[in-house]
Amino acid sequence: GLVQSCGHIIPESPVLPLGSNFTALCILNESCLDFGNIYANQIIWKIKNRVVPKEQYREINRTVSSVTFNDTSSLDSPLTCNILADGQIEQNIYGITVTVGLAPEKPKNLSCIVHQVSKLTYHMTCTWDPGRHTFLDTKFRLRYSWPEDIFPDCIPKNVNNSCTIHDVHFFVNTEIWVEAANALGKAESDPLVLDPVDIVKPLSPQNVSVTPAILPTVLQLTWENWISHTVIRLKFNIRYRVVGDTHWIEVPSEDTASERTSFSVQGLRPYTEYAFSIRCMKEDGVGYWSDWSEERTGITTED
Amino acid sequence: LGAGQSIQQTYDLTRYLEHQLRTLAGTYLNYLGPPFNEPDFNPPRLARAERVPSATVDLDLWRGLTDNARLAANYRAYSRLLCYLRVLDGQVGTAELRHRLAHFCASLQGLVLSIGGVMSSLGYPLPAGPAGPPAPPGMHAAPNDFLKKMDDFWLLKELQTWLWRSAKDFNRLKKKVPPAVVTLRLEARGF
Repeated sequence: GLVQSCGHIIPESPVLPLGSNFTALCILNESCLDFGNIYANQIIWKIKNRVVPKEQYREINRTVSSVTFNDTSSLDSPLTCNILADGQIEQNIYGITVTVGLAPEKPKNLSCIVHQVSKLTYHMTCTWDPGRHTFLDTKFRLRYSWPEDIFPDCIPKNVNNSCTIHDVHFFVNTEIWVEAANALGKAESDPLVLDPVDIVKPLSPQNVSVTPAILPTVLQLTWENWISHTVIRLKFNIRYRVVGDTHWIEVPSEDTASERTSFSVQGLRPYTEYAFSIRCMKEDGVGYWSDWSEERTGITTED
Repeated sequence: LGAGQSIQQTYDLTRYLEHQLRTLAGTYLNYLGPPFNEPDFNPPRLARAERVPSATVDLDLWRGLTDNARLAANYRAYSRLLCYLRVLDGQVGTAELRHRLAHFCASLQGLVLSIGGVMSSLGYPLPAGPAGPPAPPGMHAAPNDFLKKMDDFWLLKELQTWLWRSAKDFNRLKKKVPPAVVTLRLEARGF
C-alpha cells in the first residue's frame, strides 16, 4: 500500500541567492504524531549526511521545527528533516534540493558585425560579456527591433556570449540588446542602435587576376566585388611584394578610395614576379575591412 | 536621425529594395512559369489589378505635389503593397522563395517605417494608413489560377515601378534638405 510521508519541508525546492540567509520549516503530519509518538523537538536537520548544529534549530510548535542558515554558501543538497523515533532509530521524514546561485549581471560590451557570407547572404553576429558565473541555469537571448516591429529572438547555441542573426535588414535603424534571465532575476544590456549597413565586413575581392601591361614597370589588376553597390560602395587597400620577399608595399590608400574593379600598379621593377593581395571596406570607412584576398602573382615584361 | 540622414537612409533602402526585387521578381515569375516569365509578356491591366496601387501617374501632376503629399502617397502605396505581398508570401510552394519573399516583406516594412521617419523629421503628420482598409486577403480571391498569377504579376510590376520612382523622389528630396538641417521643434513650454 501507499506509504504516507510523516511530514514535509517548506519551501519545497528553493533557489537562493549566494550569501543570503535562509530558513526552512519541517512540518509533521498530525496523523504521524499520534501513531509514532514523534514531536518536532525530536527533529534532526541534516545536509547530506552532516548534522546541522542544533543551535540553528527552533521548535515553532509541537509539529513544526525550523532551521536557519545565515549564509547560504554553506548549504548543499539534500537538506533533510529526520526524526529520532523510539528505540533510537533515525527516520527520514522529508528532503529538499537547495540550489544556490546568483542573479545574472547586466550583459556588457555588446557589439555586432555583419558578415557577408555569399553574394546575397549576410549574417549578423553579436557578442557580449555575459558577466559573472551565476551557478544557475541562466538563459541569454539576443533581441532586436524596429520602432514598430520586434523580430524573433536569437537564442545562443551552446554558448552564453554570442548569437548570429540570419535575417539582416539594411538601411533601417535597429535596436539590439541582450537579455539574461535565471530563477533569481533578469538583466538587460544597454541597447545598441545602429543601421546594420554600418557594421558590414564584406567578402574580400574575388577572382583577382594580374596581367602584364605594355610598360615593363606596370602590372594590371582586375577583380570582382561580390557585394552590391546598392548595399555599400567600396574602397580598397592593395598590397604587393616581390615573390620571395616578405616585405609588403601598400598602394597609397587615397589612390584606391573609391569603387572599382581594376587598378594599374606602377613603379615596379621590369621582368620581376610580384604577388598581390586586395581587401575592401565601405567607402566612408564605416564598418570593417574584409579579409585580404587570395594572393595572385604576375610578372612585369622585360625592359 | 536628422531629416537629411533620414532621407539618405530611405533613399539607400529604396535602391537596395529595387535591386533585391529585380532578382526576386525574376525568380518568382519563373516560379509562375510561362507566359509570365517571358520578357516580352505585357498583358493589359485587368480591372482586378486596380486594387494594387498603380504606379502609373501623370508625372507633371506627381511633380506638382507638395513634398508632404508625395511622401504620404508613397507611404500609403507601400503600406497597401505590403499587405498584398504578405498574401503572396504565404502561398508560395518553395521554401527558398518563401524565405526570400518574407525577407523582402520585412525590408519593405522597414521602408514604410523609414518614410514615416522622414515625414516626422520634416514635421509632417503620418497619413492614417492606406486609403481605406486593404481588402481582407480572401475577399478578392482570383476565380482561377491564371487570374491569380496575373494578380501576382501586376503586383510585382507595380512594385518595381513604385520603387524606381520613389528612389527619384527621395533623391530629389535629399537635395532639397541639406544633411545638416536640424529640425527645430519649438516645444510650447510657456512661450
